[in-house]
Amino acid sequence: MSWLNGVTVSIVLFGIGLLGLVLRRDLVIKLLALGLVNASTILCLVSLGARSDGAPPLLGISTVQNIVDPLPQAIVLSAIVINFAILALALVFVMLLVERYHTTDSHRIERETAEEEEQEELWS
Amino acid sequence: MRHVSVSLVLVAVGLTAAFCVVVLLGFGFRGPGIADTEPALSVATWIDVAQGTGARNIVSAIYLNVRLFDTILEVLVFSVAVLGVHFYLTARGRPEPVESIPESSVVRVAADLLLPLILLIGLYVTVYGHLSPGGGFSGGVIAGTGLLLAAIVLGTKTVTARLGRRLLDRLEWITLLGILIVGLVPAALARTPLVDLLPAGSPGRVGSGGSILLYNGLIGLKVFVGSWVIIRHFVDHRGEI
Amino acid sequence: MELILLPLLRFAFGALSIASGRSRRTFAVAALLVDAALLSRLALTLAGGTATEMVLGGWARGLGIGFVGDRIGLTFASLVWGLGVSIVFYTWRQNLRPYFFMLLHLLIGAAFAMVFTKDLFNAYVILELLTLASFLLVGYGRRPGQIWASLRYLVLCSLGMSLFLLGLAVVYVHTGTLDIAELALRVAASPSAPWVRLGGALLVGGVAVKAGVFLFSLWLPAAHARALPAVSALLSGVVIKMGVVELFRLSEVFPLELTFGVLGVATALLGILFAVQTYDLKKLLAFSTLSQIGYLLIGFAAGTQAARIGALDYAVAHGLFKALLFLAAGEAARVVGGSDVRRLVDARCSIPTATRAALLVGILGIVGLPPFAGFAAKAVLEAGIHPTFFHAVVALISVGTAVSFAKLLPILPGRCATRSDWSTTTAYAWLAGAIVLFLPLSIAIVPRSMLSATWRWPAFLEAFAAVTLGLTLHRLLRGRRFRLPQAIFRIEEGTLVILGGFFVVYVLLQFS
Repeated sequence: MSWLNGVTVSIVLFGIGLLGLVLRRDLVIKLLALGLVNASTILCLVSLGARSDGAPPLLGISTVQNIVDPLPQAIVLSAIVINFAILALALVFVMLLVERYHTTDSHRIERETAEEEEQEELWS
Repeated sequence: MRHVSVSLVLVAVGLTAAFCVVVLLGFGFRGPGIADTEPALSVATWIDVAQGTGARNIVSAIYLNVRLFDTILEVLVFSVAVLGVHFYLTARGRPEPVESIPESSVVRVAADLLLPLILLIGLYVTVYGHLSPGGGFSGGVIAGTGLLLAAIVLGTKTVTARLGRRLLDRLEWITLLGILIVGLVPAALARTPLVDLLPAGSPGRVGSGGSILLYNGLIGLKVFVGSWVIIRHFVDHRGEI
Repeated sequence: MELILLPLLRFAFGALSIASGRSRRTFAVAALLVDAALLSRLALTLAGGTATEMVLGGWARGLGIGFVGDRIGLTFASLVWGLGVSIVFYTWRQNLRPYFFMLLHLLIGAAFAMVFTKDLFNAYVILELLTLASFLLVGYGRRPGQIWASLRYLVLCSLGMSLFLLGLAVVYVHTGTLDIAELALRVAASPSAPWVRLGGALLVGGVAVKAGVFLFSLWLPAAHARALPAVSALLSGVVIKMGVVELFRLSEVFPLELTFGVLGVATALLGILFAVQTYDLKKLLAFSTLSQIGYLLIGFAAGTQAARIGALDYAVAHGLFKALLFLAAGEAARVVGGSDVRRLVDARCSIPTATRAALLVGILGIVGLPPFAGFAAKAVLEAGIHPTFFHAVVALISVGTAVSFAKLLPILPGRCATRSDWSTTTAYAWLAGAIVLFLPLSIAIVPRSMLSATWRWPAFLEAFAAVTLGLTLHRLLRGRRFRLPQAIFRIEEGTLVILGGFFVVYVLLQFS
């Protein structure tokens, strides 16, 4: 088995995404990294059935012996839509935060949110 | 890049590298169809299933017939996303209308020619989803991209006005209810829900595959409307496209 | 058939709530009634014989998605239903948007599907739907603090679910199936294969992010503290329990006793430690939730039937009194204008009497005084645990819970009486009734023999001793303050801790 297949690449991408999520302070980059992590799991699932002489799972068009595993592909459809939903909603929230704090630095937002909470407690 | 503490970098890189190594070594993937034990589900099983449902696209047969519940949940996830975007980005009330940037005549002429083609391709991919790769999700996204092209040229206000605002809002929940009702209809007929009641038909024709075509149509419409709603809210919030 | 009708009809009601926003409350009540009818039918079927098993769409087992309606499923479904009733009452007069009600219906419907499903990928999609719906609910007020807390929640849960999906891929490569029953057979056939350890660690690590295990669920305190009180009640009572249900299903496949033992002890002790030192009421409740989840994990780890049933019983009881505490705390914080305990004590006369009574019932439940909800469940659980180490930890948790909640006692007394509106009072009465009547109600879960065996003097003595010890310790420690590191609750550290937790589970699985 060659080590350069979809599964290995996907795990390396997962690691890169994790590093991006942890090491970059910009919120948009964090979301990109999260998207990369999710996309790498999708790649992993789809490559599980991949074969060099593989044919798409279409009856009547592909020879039956060469059809790749259709179950991961069906599963991955749901995962793609879920990742899309997560990214869209996370971007909306980042937009709202940026409008309020005029920064995408996660540490600054963390600090300012904590300060605001303390202020609320003191004033009311 | 802003300053990040050295200890954090070391710990992060160390943990991530260790994670990748552990997963790579333990995965045990030696190629498709090569496993230590006989897998419970093989490609042959799925081919039989697809032949039973009358669809040619085995993946469609799986996610719109055998694992239909997963797809229903996924449609719900999509609806939640659209509703969430709608709810959070209309918080400030109606945004002031912004003049859209006039596009050059090349773009306008090309859009005029391409728009009906894109919508037609979206419709084709949706309707033929059980015969060739495609289905409701891809077809809906393709058609939604066509609307995005129209919005680039005409501006979101014009496109919304032409489509009808009420219609879009209603289509949101109508398609969702439609999908749920199609799933629940067998329960009304004293069978288990989510069972395919329509005839399988002869494979290769459009009218085959049972209710897969129905689901594809409903999902395609939902994704079409939903992606347009998301695009419109993002554009309106930003001010121009 | 009720198994699949429960979630589908709930989703339909959710769609209807958006369709006709004006009738959203009518739809909510109608949904609760329909669910009650379906649940009673299911209960009758269960009482008659064995668990119902079905495969959705009528396909063969192992091919389609399998649903099983057993006692565990019915118990959690009833808990979710009961919490739904209380939330509908509590929010009756708050004039929430139809969007809130749709998310509520989706959340409850997804919970119904979660307790019955026996398919790994179905569990993944349901958990993602739960994450999205609850994340949107946490940010409902659109305040920046809420939005930031819910964004952190979403990022960490999404990461956890990606780990789960990787684990699913590992398991699928080697077994070709996604059905839990089939998986259990395959794993039992080769228990020391490397893919079992890796797949188990990834799956458990992924679900643990949602289930409230301390190392993994660092999003929990902020999300609970900043959300609407009804949403916090839903988070603690429903969403986290669904993670626990999935952990329970996974424990039927993988040998997770040692893992649950270590994770449970760590979660319980760390949760209590953080709970003792915090003076923010909502954060206190959130940390207390973490420690109680640790308690549940210890119950699963002990391995005996009595301990498992006791853990499930306690999960239900915890859902009830934690929801009551969150609802009452939310009302109190809203009236007083802040959730700091010292301010609540100062302004206690402005807190309605019903709220203070509800707080009292909730506290009595959580510290485990007889005959309230927590007592019987704890007794059954402890009767099933044999290693002395676990007994010591459990006793420590009971004392720690008493210590952390003792600081709320000054809020309760007061000669002043303020009225509150009927909807919140009904919500409190509903939950408080369930807590007080829990002992007779729990006959449905716990066999009579186990219950009567625990209704003995040693259990009473233990409960009272724990509470007294807790009160005394609180007196002694009242002056001391100690700070625990708060930086671990950021996204970066949260991610690294999840990774670290995965390695911990992986290593523990090597020794199982």
